[in-house]
Order: sequence, then C-alpha cells, then structure tokens
Amino acid sequence: MADNKNTVLSARGLSVQYAAENPTLTDINLDIAAGEIVGLTGSSGSGKSTLAYALLGLTRRGAQVTGGKIDFDGHDLLALSDEELERVRGRDIALIVQNPRSALHPMYQVGRQISRVYQAHKDSGRTEAQQRAIEMLRLVGINDPERRSDAFVHELSGGMAQRVLIALALSTNPKLLIADEPTSGLDVTVQAQFLDTMWETSRETGTAMVLVTQEPGILANYCDRVIELDAGHVAKDVSASAFISASTKRSTQSPSAVERERQNHEPLLRVEGLRKTFPLRGTKKVVQAVDDVSLSLFAGESVGLVGESGSGKSTVGRCLLKLLEADAGKITFDGQDLAAIGGHTLRKLRQRIQIVQQDPYDSFDPRWSIEKSLLDPLVIHKIASPAEARGVIEESLSRVSVEFSVLSRRPRDLSAGVLQRIAIARALLMKPDFLVLDEPTSMLAPQDRHVILDVLKRLRTELGLSYLLISHDLTSVASACDRVVVMYLGQVVEVGPTVDIFEKPIHPYTKALIGAHLEENPETRRVERLDRVDLEGEIPSPIDLPVGCYLATRCAHATDACHKERQSLSPFSSHHDVRCMRVGQFELDEAS
Amino acid sequence: MIWRFTLRRLAVGLVQLSVLIVAVFFLIRLLPADPVARFVGMNASPEAYALAEQSLGLDLPVTRQFEAFLFGEGNDGGGLFRGELGTSWVTGSSVNQEIRQYLPVTLELITLSFLIAVGLGVPIGVLGAVNPGGAADKGTLVYGLFAGSQPEFSWGIIFIFVFFVVLGIAPGPLGRLSPLTDPPDFVTGAITIDALLAGRVDIFLEALWYLSLPILTLSFVLSGPIIKMVRENVAQTMNADFMFYGQAAGLPRGVLARDALRAAFAPALTLIGILFGFMIGGAVLIESIFSISGLGQYAIRSILAFDYPAIQGVVLTISALTLLIYLAIDVCQALLDPRVSV
Amino acid sequence: MSNTGNRDESAAFGVLAWIGVGIVSCAVFLAIFSPWLIPYDPTQATENVSMPPPPLSAWPSLFWQTIANGSPTPHWFGTDASGLDVFSRTIEATRTDLIIALSANIVSVIIGVSLGVISGYFRNIWTETLLRTADLLQSFPVFITAMILVALAGRSWVNIVLAMSLLYAPIYLRLTRTEVLALRERSFIEAARALGKTELGIARHHILPNAIGPSLIQFSVTIGFAILLTAGLSFVGAGVRPPTPEWGSMIATGATQLVLGDWWPSLFPGIAISVTVFGFAVCGHVLEKRYGR
Repeated sequence: MADNKNTVLSARGLSVQYAAENPTLTDINLDIAAGEIVGLTGSSGSGKSTLAYALLGLTRRGAQVTGGKIDFDGHDLLALSDEELERVRGRDIALIVQNPRSALHPMYQVGRQISRVYQAHKDSGRTEAQQRAIEMLRLVGINDPERRSDAFVHELSGGMAQRVLIALALSTNPKLLIADEPTSGLDVTVQAQFLDTMWETSRETGTAMVLVTQEPGILANYCDRVIELDAGHVAKDVSASAFISASTKRSTQSPSAVERERQNHEPLLRVEGLRKTFPLRGTKKVVQAVDDVSLSLFAGESVGLVGESGSGKSTVGRCLLKLLEADAGKITFDGQDLAAIGGHTLRKLRQRIQIVQQDPYDSFDPRWSIEKSLLDPLVIHKIASPAEARGVIEESLSRVSVEFSVLSRRPRDLSAGVLQRIAIARALLMKPDFLVLDEPTSMLAPQDRHVILDVLKRLRTELGLSYLLISHDLTSVASACDRVVVMYLGQVVEVGPTVDIFEKPIHPYTKALIGAHLEENPETRRVERLDRVDLEGEIPSPIDLPVGCYLATRCAHATDACHKERQSLSPFSSHHDVRCMRVGQFELDEAS
Repeated sequence: MIWRFTLRRLAVGLVQLSVLIVAVFFLIRLLPADPVARFVGMNASPEAYALAEQSLGLDLPVTRQFEAFLFGEGNDGGGLFRGELGTSWVTGSSVNQEIRQYLPVTLELITLSFLIAVGLGVPIGVLGAVNPGGAADKGTLVYGLFAGSQPEFSWGIIFIFVFFVVLGIAPGPLGRLSPLTDPPDFVTGAITIDALLAGRVDIFLEALWYLSLPILTLSFVLSGPIIKMVRENVAQTMNADFMFYGQAAGLPRGVLARDALRAAFAPALTLIGILFGFMIGGAVLIESIFSISGLGQYAIRSILAFDYPAIQGVVLTISALTLLIYLAIDVCQALLDPRVSV
Repeated sequence: MSNTGNRDESAAFGVLAWIGVGIVSCAVFLAIFSPWLIPYDPTQATENVSMPPPPLSAWPSLFWQTIANGSPTPHWFGTDASGLDVFSRTIEATRTDLIIALSANIVSVIIGVSLGVISGYFRNIWTETLLRTADLLQSFPVFITAMILVALAGRSWVNIVLAMSLLYAPIYLRLTRTEVLALRERSFIEAARALGKTELGIARHHILPNAIGPSLIQFSVTIGFAILLTAGLSFVGAGVRPPTPEWGSMIATGATQLVLGDWWPSLFPGIAISVTVFGFAVCGHVLEKRYGR
C-alpha cells in the first residue's frame, strides 16, 4: 500500500513512549489514501489520541517518539526540523480536538485565530485572511459569520466552537485532517450535523481524514475503513462494514404484557403538570427547566426519557425522588402524593424509589471504601444487622455481576463500568420498586454500556423492577424501554411505544432526533439517507422561551399559529400522544 | 460600558468603606484601653482625669462621639463628611495634614521596591517556567518559596549589618536623607520627585542612596511571591490546550510565546495589585527599622499612644487606597480579558 | 518546542518535602523539650554582658569539655546587652512563637471551618451577614489591625491569639465554604439523600471530611504568617512583653547593638525565624501540590 500513488501518509514502525513507562505505541504501521476517511478506535488508554498527535509529529507533555518514520508528501516528518514541521502542521496536516473551547485562545476573537493560522501558512495579507476566515465560518454552517468571527470562544456553545475549529483546520486546504473525538460532549443532533459537514467537506475537497472515536455509530456512518488499537498495537485494519457486524439490529420491546397491566391497575407513578424553574442569580428572571410534564409509569414497565441537554429530563428525574421540590404539578407514587410527605415518611418512601446517577465516580464518597458506601444505607434504614449485612451486600453485588473483591477498594481504583454497576447494586439494597436512571451510560465506553443495559433488562425480569431511563443515547433507550417520552425545552413533545417512536415518529422534533441517531449499521448510513429532517438555527434560551410552540423558530412546518399558540399534548393514536397542532398536515406542506 | 462598570465598582467600594469606618470606630472604643489614663498618667487626680476626658470628648456617649466624628463638633467645620479626619490627640495637629505628609513617603518606598521586584521577578519567573524540571525551574521554586516566607525586619537588620556595619558601602538606617542635607521643598512629599522638581539631582541621588537598603529588603521579600506566581502561571499556560493546539496548527514560535504571555499576564496583574495593596499597610516594620517617617511609623506611634483620631485616619486611608487599587485591577482586567463581563 | 515537557518535580519534590518536614519537626521538638535543652534560664541575666559567641572552630572542643569535664556550658550564641544567654532564649522562643501561632490557627480553623460548613450549607440572612462580616474583616490591613487590637486590648499572648484568630478565621471560612458549595453539587451527596441519610448525617459524614482538606493545607501556610505576625508585633513593641523570650523582640533588642558590631543577639533569632517559616512554607507548598486541587 505504501507504494500506492494515492497514499497521503504512511507510518512505519512508529513507537511513542512516555518517560519511564511502558511504550504507549509500539511499531504502528498504517497508510491513509487521498480522500479516505479512516476511523481510529480502541478503548480508552489504547493510545489512539497519542497516535493521532504522533501523525503530526507531536507528542503531549513528557512523551517522545522513540522510533519509526512517517512518510508524508515525500518527506519523513520525524526527520524534519522544528521550523519545517511548523510549516507542515496546519498547512498540510490539520488537527481538530475534543475540547474546542479550551483549544482556542480565550483572549483573541475566533475569526482572528483562523486568519492568523491562514496567514502563517499562505503568504497572504491580513484582509485576505480575514475574508478567508469569514468564508470558512460560513462554509461550516455558522449563521452570520461576519458577526461571529468577532466573538470570543467563551461566547460560543460547544458545537459552535467545534465548527470554528474545523473552519480553522480546513482554511488552508490540508491534505489530511486528523479529528480527535471531535463530537464528544455534543448533543446528538449537533453531532450529526457537525459530522455531516465534515464528511461533505472532505468529499468535496478530497481531504483525507483520520477520525478518532469510540462510537460504533460514528464509525458505521462516516468511515470507510477502521483501524482498531489495543494496548498500543494495531489490532484490526479493516473496512468499516467488516468492522461492524451488521447483526446489531435494534431489538424493540413487546408492548403486550404492559398493555394488560394498564387496563387492570392504577399506574405506579403518575406525574401531572410538573413544572420547575430555577431563579437566575442576581436577576428576577428564571430558567424554565421543566414546563408542563405529565407521564405515567406502570408496575414492571420501563420508560425511556429522551431529549438533548437542557431539555429538563434530569430535573424531572430529581423531582420524582423529591430531591428537587417541584414548583407546580402533582406526583403520585403508589397512591401517595409526594408533595404531602416529608421527613421520616419521605425517607421511607425513598427506599422504594431509587436513583442511579450519571457520573459513577462522582456518586460515591471518594474517601470511603465501597464496603462502607454500601453498608451505610443498610445501617440508616436498619435493613440488616451487622451480621447479615455482608450477605445482603454480596447478594446485591452478584445481581449486577460484580466481584466481592471490590469491597475493600476505593472508587478511584475501579473502572467506570464496574463502579456504575456498584451504584445500581447500592440502589438495589433498598429493594426498590422503581429506579430512576439518570444518564447511567453516558460516561461509559460502548462495551460497558451494553453490560449496564443487560443488567437492567435482567433485573426487570428477575425482580419485576420498573425504571425510568433518562438518556440522550437513543440506542440504549431503544434496546431497554417499552415506551419512550421525548422532551424538548422542558416539555413532553411526544410519548409512545418504542417501536412507534423509532419507526414512525410524528413530531418534527422527534423526527430530527431520530434522524440524528447514528445506528451501528453501515447499510443505513445517515449521509446516504435522503429524507433527513434537520432543525434550523439554535435552540432558544430557556430563560426567554417563545410564546407559542417552542420548536416553531426551527421547524420547517411552522405557521403563524404555531408561533402564537401554546401547544398541548394530545392523543394521536392509542398510547401515542403528540404535542403539535399540525399533526397530520405535514404532507400538505410537501405537496405545495 | 467601562465607565458604568467603574462607577458601579466605585459605589460598592464606598459602601464597603463606610461599613469599615463604622466598624473601626466602634471596635476601638469597645476594646478595654484607657486613653485618658495614658495622657494624664496613672496617678492623676480625678479632677485632672475628668478634665482630660472632657477635652478628648470621651465623656460623651459613644453615639455622640460618632456624630462628632462624622459632622464635626459644633461649627468647627470638621467631620468626616467635610473630609476632615479630626485632630491628633498627641500632636494636636490635623490628622489630614499628617497623613498628607507621611503617606507619600510610604508610597514612594513601596512603589520603587515594586518596580524592582517586578522588573526582576517577572523575567526570572518566566525563565523558571520555560524549561520545566531544569535547574532554573527548581532554583526559582526554592527561591520563591524562601523569599516569599521571610520576615522583612530580620533581613533588614542583616542587610544593615552586612552593607553598612561590615562593608560600609551603604548608608546607615537614618531616614531618607543625611541629617546634614536640607530636604527639598515639600511638593508631593515623595523626596525623589520633590528633588527632581526642585532641580536638585544631587538630592535625588542621595535619596535613592538612602533608600537603597530598604528597597533591597522589600524587593527581596516581594520578589518571592512574584517569582513563584509568574512561574506557576506561565507553566500552566504553556501546558494549556490552546498552546498545544497552536503548535498543532503550525503557528510560529514567536506568536506562540506572545500567546502564552498574554494569557499569563492577567492573573499576574491581579496578584501584583493585591500585594501592593497589602504592602501599604505592611511596610510598617521596614519603616521602623530604617527610621523612615512614613505612614507605618505614624501608625505605630498613634497606636501605642492610643491616639484614636490618628488610628482611624490611618485605617481609613489604607483601606481606601487598597480599595482603589482593587478597583484599578478590576478595570484593567476587564479591559484586558474579554471573559470578564463588564 | 515539539515537546511541552512534563513538569517532573518528583525529584526536587522529595528533597524539598524532606527539608520542610525536617525543619517543622525540629521546631516542634525544640518547642516541646526546650526546658530540658537550654543551659541557662532565659529570663535570668548572667554576669557576662554582650559576650560574643565562641568561634565555630572551637565548638567541638567546648562541647566535649562540657560533656566530659562538666565545665560550665559556654554561651554558644553569646549574650546580649543585659547578659541574657542568646542560645537559651532563641530555643525557648520557639516555644513562645509556636504556641501562639498554633493556638491562633487552631482557634481559627475551628471557628472558620464550622462557620464555613454552616454558611455553605444554609443560605439565609444570618449566613449572609456572617459572610459580609468575614469580608469586612478580610478588608482590614492585617498588621495594623493586629497592632490596634493587641495594643488596645492589652499585650498578652491570649490577646495576640484572639486578634490573629479574628483575622485568620475568615480565610478558613472562605476556603471551607467554597469547598462545601462545590460538594453540595456532587452526586454522592444527592445519592446519600436518596438513600435516606439525614441532612445532619450528610454534613457530618460527607461534607465535613471532604471539605476540610484545603483548610489543612492552608493551616501550614498560615502558621508561617502567624509566626511572622507574632514576631513583627513584638518587634514594634506591641506583642508579648519582655522579658518573655520571643524572636521578634529579641531581634529588636539586638538591633540597638548592631551598629556597635554586636551582630549575635539579633542574628541568631533572625536565622531561627527565617528557617522555621521557610519550613512551614515548604510544607504548605508540598501539601498543596500533592493534595490540593
């Protein structure tokens, strides 16, 4: 492959080592062809970021390239002088990184940061460089680039900053773009739009790309070839379709069992007209976190609550345990009104409702051993005598398939996946009926996510546990929930059985959200789909919400009425509710 | 924009200052000291005691005393609201005039010391940061820790011994000028400036000569925290993501260096400002050792003599200056750093 | 420049840490055992006035003579103008200064940390007032305020301790409060609440132990400040009353003899204070690098 004319870059025997440690990368060989998009993947610590930087002849603090060569454009990058490398970097090989907001200098306007890189590489004047910056910002889909180029990085959202970074990287028309987990921390719809832009630009300009990511969805949807690293070695170098076995088809839950439950019983949990605002410090304004949420959940049922950051889904979860006091609305759990109880009664009730939080490392006292953390709730509720406690704890741990040896460890010594399972075990100690899972998989590596979801499904069959799975990860929700509740800006916009929501979404927001979902299937790549629904513009501020439909400003189907009238959640079919007054009329728009 | 910000900060500062002066006024009177006894002596007759008490105004209830402090007594045209701090119980002259005389001396001393400490400390700190783990790095770390922790009075004395007693290359601790030299006319109160204004370069040089040891001592102590902080800031900036990214984008080294300094400068400015504010009230010991009659010496004298009006004046002056310096830092910060919201 | 470099301080670190710990342990040892270590009564004048210390080269033989032949102990650091043994006073002063600095900091930590936890945990008019008061105290010029407080309240070591506590408690209050505010947002606090722990239990078992760290680091740094302040106050005549041995007042008395060439009465206490505060500063730095944010 190295002899191939189209090869842009080829590395041979590349090794990188941090001072006095095991080599991070050993003997890496790889080739990247012109216009090719190569996914670089591997678990955390496998050295993928280190490799990405090494391809630029760069290392992070303390690391050193200990051997090998990188052929690029007829030169060995590792043999170049610092000055020569300076010219290659940014001109021929460009980089974008994970944390765009810290990668840009905080005290210069972003437009200036683009233009000065351009100036450094393309012998151009200042005005020309400024024009180039604005042109690039427009190209990556930033509205009003003239104004935005004068912004400072702290004034931009994460997605916007990432676009600035890619504008900067591509401004010089590099032959190779290296993207190190460019979308981590972005919402799904933003992620999809960003990756689309990147993909399109790469196809248009013929720029080759190395895309570092852990997400199988991204690999499947955007990459031609996948290189997997394992402990600093290349473990696989295959085509994307070979890498992702097409068998990871979505399994959706059968609604029949729950149907019966519904007809016979009152729901276990009923939420009506929930509202929660947070005062904004130093002003009289409030942030509208939750605005009119109603939902119900039956015994044995699992419901997914999805929406992007800022949609208020976590706030709903917290209100259910009364960890936050709702402003308005009624929450009834097993016939008991949550607003009416407090103190001891509340603590007793909380035994039946438990929560698993997002960041496992944050949800354990860092100073306590796992044993102490698990023992404490047993002591508080006098669930078990000291003699029995060990048995109870061990039973709980075996339910989540965690070895007992973890008991003597501290949280920081354990992996995120294991710790998250221990968090579930801790909740199970209370023998709860209902579990709120607040983004339980978002901090975990893809492999650990599957383990958690399997545990949840098992607990449901073994213990008859009901749960509310709050997540922005649609794959998790699709595989583990009977019904899905979609939230946007504090409102429920659509509720329905999982199959309906995923296959026949009604609300324009749900459509966009499902459309942005990157399935782990190279056969249904997003970039090849024609019926993509994308939302325009930016999400309105929750401090200053529109009068009518919250989506109206971004919706292709919006009419004057949408902008003026408040929408209500109305039945669309049995068990499927939608908050949109124009349901069923969208076809008219397309016809006209 | 910046003007509104400044005015708002100034208003907040004034409120702080008023609370502070109220606190000082009452705190002093709450403490179990007896200034009257201090003035008339322990064995004075009750009559003499009562007379003294009356003349100091201490026979009045505290609220009346406070009123007099704010509005002056009768129609004497005094009072804090007219900008008068009262009359010293010891010297009988106006506290305003005394502070006017002593404050410039202190400001002159610490400003010169700061110029030297910053002028030397900043490059040394940067030097320590650019080559992490190197000898310069370790050296600046240890020096910064050492100098930053040291008692200035002890070092002042060591320097006097070494440079005056043993080597004889520096003047003795006799004040700001030789006792035989006539000081220049009082204009600003800072002797170096006044000498230049009077066109007397010889007096200017002599003043610098006499100030050399106090400045050496102060800049030695001040250089510690400055070096330590500059070293840490620059090191932190060099490890920042945007520096790594700038390198990855192939920015020339000169541009990168400027980027690093720009980001490190703002926090450094804050610390230097805070140190300066601290030193206005902290130069007491140096002044005492070198017999420099500045605000610190005045403070010691007034406090040990229980001279309440003078004590109040000193605390008020120092606090007001400190607040002004903090205000200046905030304004500079807002001008320099776009992240600071105006 | 292609390598931003690792801040490999580990080597220097080890040495520095040992220096810091060594100095602090020595100081504490001297403070505890000074009555058994000093050859002369620190407040009782001898007949030798302004006697210079023996030359360093003579020290080993003198030392040997003292132990073996029982001859009278020499004045290792000389004597001052009143005939007091500088060596005994310097050692005994370790006790005075350390006790004052430690007491002031212990009182400040207890007050500051508990008020910090309270003001971080409860947000109401009382804790707001408390915070404003702390701000006010921190805006006073430290040295001058300490002087005013001690001079006007009476020059006793208890008053010095109280004055310093008033000035230092706000530091600990601020530190703890910031920490508590951050802790309150942590998931494990919420988890404990969901698991049925009472607010008091959360404050005692989770908040306090996790919030106290920065204060303990600060403790080491502030002890250095407190020693400087104690000595500084005595130096200008507003601290502990002579003849209590104290470094600052010893330096001040010695300074009057300095122009005559008698360097020893002020130099030895000067070295003692320099080394001690350096030791505490190093410990503070090491603690902060290892356990701080």
